[in-house]
Amino acid sequence: MLSHIFLLVLFSTLVSIFFGALTRNDLREGARVALILFLSLVGISLALAYIMAPFPLR
Amino acid sequence: MSPGRTALACALAWLVPGAGHLYLKRPLKAALFFCLVLIMLFLGLSLHGRAHVVDHDNPLLSSLATFANVATGPLDLLIRKSTYHRITYRLPPEGQSDYDELVARMRARVLEPTYEYGTTFILTAGLMNILLILDAFDIGIGRKH
Repeated sequence: MLSHIFLLVLFSTLVSIFFGALTRNDLREGARVALILFLSLVGISLALAYIMAPFPLR
Repeated sequence: MSPGRTALACALAWLVPGAGHLYLKRPLKAALFFCLVLIMLFLGLSLHGRAHVVDHDNPLLSSLATFANVATGPLDLLIRKSTYHRITYRLPPEGQSDYDELVARMRARVLEPTYEYGTTFILTAGLMNILLILDAFDIGIGRKH
C-alpha cells in the first residue's frame, strides 16, 4: 500500500488536479492540463529513477 | 473589487484553504481546493511528516520551510502540536532545557520510513495555499477572471 510508486501516483494526482483547477476555468481544459501534468510528473520521475538506478548509494 | 475586499479574500484564503475563492463567489473551486489541501495535510500527518522549525545550523532553508508550513494557516498549529506536542517555530540553541526534547520528537519522526514523503506532503499543502492566496489576490485586483 505505501510503496514508493503508490505515493508517487497519489502525490502526482493531487498536485495535477490542483494545478488543473488553478490554471483553467473550463472543466475540460482543466482536466487536460491535469492529465498532461500527471503524466509528466510520473513519467519524469520514473525516467530519473531509471537513469539513477545503476549508480550505487555509496 | 476594492483593495479592502481583496485583502479580506487573501486573509480568508490563508485562514481556511479555499475560503478566499468562496468569498470571490467560486464555490466549486473553493470546495475542491479545500479538499485537496486538507487531504495533502492529513496524508502528510498520517505518513509521519513534520512541521519545520527555524534551525540556526541551516537558517535559510529551515526558514523557507517554516514559512511554507505557516502558509497553511491555523492548520499549521495542529501539525506543530502533533510533531512537537506544543507550538514552536524555532529550535532553541543546543544546551537549552527544551532542545533535547524537541530534537527527540523530531528524531522519532525522522526514523519513520515514510517521514520524507509525509514532510513533502505537508510542505506541498503549504505551497498550494500560498498559490491560492496569490490566486485570490489576482482575482481580487482583476488580473484574472
